[in-house]
Amino acid sequence: MSAHGTAPYEAVFVGKRKADLDAILLRYPNKQAALLPALWIVQEVQGWVSEEGMAEVAKCLDLTPAYVKGVVTFYTMYHQHPVGKHFIQVCTTSPCLCAGADKVTEAFLKHTGCNELGVTSPDGKYTVIEVECLGACGFATPVQINADTIENVTADKVPQILAGLK
Amino acid sequence: MTAPAMVNLTIEGRPVSVPAGTSILEAAKAAGVLIPHYCYHPGLPVAGVCRMCLVDVEKAPKLMPSCATTVAEGQVVRVHDDKSLEARKGVLEMLLINHPLDCPICDQSGECELQDYTFQEGRADSRYREPKRFNPVEDFGGDVLYVPNRCILCTRCVRFMDDVQQESALCVAERGDRAVIAKAPDADLTQAWAGNVVDLCPVGALLSKDFLNKARAWELDRAPSICTGCSQGCNVTLETRDNAVVRIKPRGNPDVNAFFICDEGRLNYRWMNRQDRCLAPTAAGTECHWDAAVAAAASALNGKRAHIVANASLGNEAFFLLGVLAKKTGGSVRFTVPQGPEALLPGVEDLALRADRAANAYGAELLGASRADDPYRGLGAGDTLVLVDVDPASVPAGALAAAGRVVYLGTVVAAGVKAAAVLPIANIAEHDGTVTNLRGHVQRYFQARPAPGHARPAWSAVADLLIALKGEANFLTAADAFAAMAKAHAAFAGMTFDQLGTRGAAAAGATAGAGR
Repeated sequence: MSAHGTAPYEAVFVGKRKADLDAILLRYPNKQAALLPALWIVQEVQGWVSEEGMAEVAKCLDLTPAYVKGVVTFYTMYHQHPVGKHFIQVCTTSPCLCAGADKVTEAFLKHTGCNELGVTSPDGKYTVIEVECLGACGFATPVQINADTIENVTADKVPQILAGLK
Repeated sequence: MTAPAMVNLTIEGRPVSVPAGTSILEAAKAAGVLIPHYCYHPGLPVAGVCRMCLVDVEKAPKLMPSCATTVAEGQVVRVHDDKSLEARKGVLEMLLINHPLDCPICDQSGECELQDYTFQEGRADSRYREPKRFNPVEDFGGDVLYVPNRCILCTRCVRFMDDVQQESALCVAERGDRAVIAKAPDADLTQAWAGNVVDLCPVGALLSKDFLNKARAWELDRAPSICTGCSQGCNVTLETRDNAVVRIKPRGNPDVNAFFICDEGRLNYRWMNRQDRCLAPTAAGTECHWDAAVAAAASALNGKRAHIVANASLGNEAFFLLGVLAKKTGGSVRFTVPQGPEALLPGVEDLALRADRAANAYGAELLGASRADDPYRGLGAGDTLVLVDVDPASVPAGALAAAGRVVYLGTVVAAGVKAAAVLPIANIAEHDGTVTNLRGHVQRYFQARPAPGHARPAWSAVADLLIALKGEANFLTAADAFAAMAKAHAAFAGMTFDQLGTRGAAAAGATAGAGR
């Protein structure tokens, strides 16, 4: 989705995904407890959590949209705006910064065409952000692209990494 | 039901005895000690998020939040000791880190708890030297404006919408120093009672758009009154500036409206400031002395049947004396009640914006007046039509033509009414009196400003008429008229103005639910 809510909202929890959610609900004493995994499913399917998505989750879990919005905005890992197909998170916490993470970030911004942190590239493929510690200080600089983490990234490796993304 | 066991404790050296289960904060109130607090409100569930009400409880390892700690036998609580003061100072300093300190342009200034407590026991200066966080002002819909920079995130508004209005429209969004109050997707504050979040907000974060930049809190004069918007009879405070009513605020009364009023009642005050007021008495269309107009009215009534049509929001005293007048002339008192949609406040028992949009229909019926869809039906050709505080535009021309004569007691000028006599009367903001709500709760309203011109309270005008008709109605004050009514009508037996106070009392034989 390239812009906010231009396409009509398609329900997430139908068919298999409904069954997935039901399986998740079995793990918890009440419906509210399944809020975070339910939001993950929405983000996985739609790439971000829209207000319609919050409303659907609220309905499925007997919560109010207001409560769900509070949770979505509390956590930084739920996207409240559409992001690129490849969501690139560069660790820029102290050790990585010493190892040149700022150069890595610059290289990603340049080669993806994003030019600015948090802004999706014009082709809709990339979004680059800085994150706090990815827990791989011994292998600075780690970069997480969607669910995959790549270690020992330097600025000159960036074009090669981008070329490898499908 | 047995009374709950009493617990004895000491707060600030004062012994106090409260029912088991009471919070330390409420117990302290009973002992006359105000523990500073933000998130706690007696009408809302306890959240314990602001940490302002921390107090020292002897033998407790650390300071306790007094809103969420229940009393225990023999407890010794210190509110103003060094430890608690230091804690509150810290909380206040934190709250002010991102607060813009724009009191000079803030509507809440003068009635702001952040201002009060900071002045009372906060630091004189701030140690924070970084730029402050900024968020833009947001229109929350309805009558509510949100100024996030002033917000201290006490969540009173969120809890009101969740638990009292029971239509979740607000949440705390984001976290840490970015946290703000946000509207839920597609929600706004247009619910019937949503405006109460403005009163609940302890700071200037939620403001009334209606009152925005109108007056400073310290310029206002305040008088306890009753909302005439519907038959619930919510207790309100009329706030006037230069003798104009500029705001209505709810006044707590556990018997009637808890702490709340609906938006319709809150915003329905402009009619009190109407400029087309009836200022001078007239006889046969000519301005004259009050007594001359009374004499003209009396001669119009003498020997005639009085067909009295009254506003259903008039006070009990007026309806009582109108009843006497009707009896004396063999006539009747009728009123009509405007209707509107009902709007419940789900979180409070038996509280709603009622369909009957008038304050005193129940009291009027207790006093012998009768409710009618068409109050002009049965008006005989020789009858004298007495209009009391009736909207002149609502009087059908046919009725005016059918009546032998018309006596007009009104608050506003009635150009189309050819009256034998006109007596200007005061509206509810301008005199003392009582009304009876739909559960039979008799409540006083107080004068908030002087009546314009020669206007007198309706009961006083009717009393003058009765005296002119050789009746006995020699009352100096509304309390005198009320005392006579209490003697004449069993429903009000034994009641006095003093005893009603600002809380009111249930009329004898009031319908079930009145004694809630």
